[in-house]
Amino acid sequence: MAKAVGIDLGTTNSVIATTEDGHPTVIPNSEGSRTTPSVVAFTEQGERLVGQLARRQAILNPKGTIYSAKRFIGRRYDEVKSEINAVSFDVVAGPDGAVRFNVRGKQHAPEEISALVLRKLADDAGKFLGERVTEAVITVPAYFNDAQRQATRDAGKIAGLEVLRIINEPTAAALAYGLDKGANETVLIFDLGGGTFDVSLLSIGEGVVEVLATAGDGHLGGDDFDRRIVDHIADEFQRDNGIDLRQDPQALQRMFEAAEKAKVELSSVTQTTISLPFVTADATGPKHLNTTLMRSTFEQITGDLIERCTDPVETAMADAKVTANDVDEVILVGGSTRIPAVQALVRRLTAGKDPNMTVNPDEVVALGAAAQAGVIKGEVEDVVLLDVTPLSLGLETLGGVMTKIIERNTTIPARRTEVFSTAEDNQTAVDVVVLQGERERAADNRVLARFRLENIRPAPRGVPQIEVTFDIDANGILHVSARDKDTGAEQKVTISETSNLDQSEIERMIKDAEQHRSEDERLREVIDARNQLDSIAYQVEKRLQELGEGVPAHEKARAEMLVGDARQAIKEEAPVERLRNLAAELQQVFYGLTAATAGAGPSGRGGSGGPGPEGGPGAGGDEDVIDAEFTTDE
Amino acid sequence: MSDMRPEEPKEDETGSATKIAELEDRWKRALADLDNHRKRAARDAERQRFAERARTVAEWLPVVDNLERAIEHGGADCAVLLEGVRAVRDQALELLTRLGFPRQDDVGRPFDPTRHEAVATVPDAEVPEGTVVQVTRPGYGSGDGQLRPAQVVVSKGTQTDGPGS
Ligand SMILES: Nc1ncnc2c1ncn2[C@@H]1O[C@H](COP(=O)(O)OP(=O)(O)O)[C@@H](O)[C@H]1O
Ligand SMILES: [Mg+2]
Repeated sequence: MAKAVGIDLGTTNSVIATTEDGHPTVIPNSEGSRTTPSVVAFTEQGERLVGQLARRQAILNPKGTIYSAKRFIGRRYDEVKSEINAVSFDVVAGPDGAVRFNVRGKQHAPEEISALVLRKLADDAGKFLGERVTEAVITVPAYFNDAQRQATRDAGKIAGLEVLRIINEPTAAALAYGLDKGANETVLIFDLGGGTFDVSLLSIGEGVVEVLATAGDGHLGGDDFDRRIVDHIADEFQRDNGIDLRQDPQALQRMFEAAEKAKVELSSVTQTTISLPFVTADATGPKHLNTTLMRSTFEQITGDLIERCTDPVETAMADAKVTANDVDEVILVGGSTRIPAVQALVRRLTAGKDPNMTVNPDEVVALGAAAQAGVIKGEVEDVVLLDVTPLSLGLETLGGVMTKIIERNTTIPARRTEVFSTAEDNQTAVDVVVLQGERERAADNRVLARFRLENIRPAPRGVPQIEVTFDIDANGILHVSARDKDTGAEQKVTISETSNLDQSEIERMIKDAEQHRSEDERLREVIDARNQLDSIAYQVEKRLQELGEGVPAHEKARAEMLVGDARQAIKEEAPVERLRNLAAELQQVFYGLTAATAGAGPSGRGGSGGPGPEGGPGAGGDEDVIDAEFTTDE
Repeated sequence: MSDMRPEEPKEDETGSATKIAELEDRWKRALADLDNHRKRAARDAERQRFAERARTVAEWLPVVDNLERAIEHGGADCAVLLEGVRAVRDQALELLTRLGFPRQDDVGRPFDPTRHEAVATVPDAEVPEGTVVQVTRPGYGSGDGQLRPAQVVVSKGTQTDGPGS
């Protein structure tokens, strides 16, 4: 079955997304970008270029490069007089006063231009997905009239797409946040992109979306912010050097690129540097532009641009007859809403509400359109709703830590097997403690079950192989089994309450783990170091025994002393540094002993994750503890 | 044992036969999905490795650009230093080549939007219209391995201003 997609057909950039198993995702174009410039060029050689390639040749071909087609689509020539002056190509009146673009004597309809953009998006997406894209939901601004909507639909048709539906951009944004599923709400969508600003107020309830009001500014966006930075740095440079860089096309280009970069950086840091070495030269030699731009300065030079967003918001609210307090949700759309001052303004205008911005604002419209396409195609129905494990599941291992077997958020059903070993020589039983939670220390997690596997044949520690399997079925029921690979003996337990925690409890446990993360990491580090040191001490000791008199006395004395130190350090709970140093020294000694009697390697285990001494904390006294992992497989 | 079956179980049986068919279908779909996913993941991993390497290398290009500019602007009074800078630049270019992104030499080529981004035009009687006459920022890599296109100045033929000649 062909894939249905959602397309945000933008004024400057377009985005295409699809739903996979109910999850909307953006599809990159053939150049690897997630957005595609809405630009089409007709070259002198009769070639047609779409997207980035069209943009790259724009200045060679100002009359043949069509951009901003969205400003013209579905409109009559006499309605667009003001837009005509803002573009470099020729706009003429066609049949019945419709808008046409005149390129070298040939007339092109705006729908045709948009169709070429849609075709590229769909073709590239088809290549990416490995299946043809034939059906689409396309978005338009909420203020588009019937003619503009129809023309957009026609563009889809010309592109060979079946247009499942035309939906409003703000509606798509609300769908991306799943707001259609909630109770009755008033939602404000604030969309500040590269060159346009749109505000919409929606009323959403029981799957019905009503547009209460729209307002905006057709010529306000991120590009204006870039221009302010360019002017700021050019003025400064002119003051200091007496040269106006804006007169030099190459310098101007570099300044625009640097300005946008600085602007984007100032959305996450409070100060940035703009550095354009060798930006120009005069009689005295080359000149460099080096300056620091503070976020506060940026906010000062763009204050009036931010202020221009206020009126449309207030107008929309007045038209919709709602006050700031009536607004239940605020959604930010468009790359420029990442600017902190824009976010602050939105908060101010909506009585301090925290806006929704977890979905990437440049992609949220396309994602919502894709979600809608998925719903229309009934894809969602077909999907078996897959559950995930809300918390990690694992075992208590040596040192009283939790070793996770199934990570949190694993899609179930799932099955994992790991092989463990014993911690002591001649250990004949192991205790399996099944844990749930995110903390490193076993005692900080929830114990789901414990059982004991007995009659392990006596062997040195680390030799027995105990295969532990966690199998969680589609209903969240967990089966844990432990099998002695040597004897085939097996013990198992079934736990049905892995999922009977309520959401708040799960959230508490996750938050807890986050809060204690660094402390837990340290703990884990110490225990791992301790286990490792113990393991290598054990190996050295064993080697000494095996070699007996073959070891030179001084070497033997040194080895024994180090083993003693190691045991002492472990008992005293020495700091990690000391544990690691001792382990490194013992490692050296071990290699020395091995080299002395070539051929005898360490008994099949690496330096880490070795067995440990006493039962770990929490497994007090004579309890037998399962050792850290040995090998893994699926 | 008996062949006599009441009506109900019969219905049950067709019901469960449909159910089995449906489950089998779903199961096969799930396996197919998984398989397709595996293939996609392998392709994606490859693509992402390349994209990440390209992104990292591209972040360093401005440093190389500025070395070029230093060489270009360097006066005669600092010839020794300039020689050093040139060596560093050459080292950087060699490294880029080794990483699969050789510097492109575009002067004299016809303008091609897959390799070039036009930043200006100049009248030039010497070369055919649409020829790259100057590279203001070189491109690195080519084809699928393009790191960035070159920014170029393109000839506009002999025409200086307005039509006619
Ligand atoms: N992190 C950021 N901070 C500030 N501006 C940004 C950021 N990211 C993107 N932008 C700006 O967002 C604008 C593009 O937004 P987009 O939503 O793609 O535009 P449009 O819908 O008009 O095509 C550009 O001006 C870009 O510089
Ligand atoms: Mg947009």
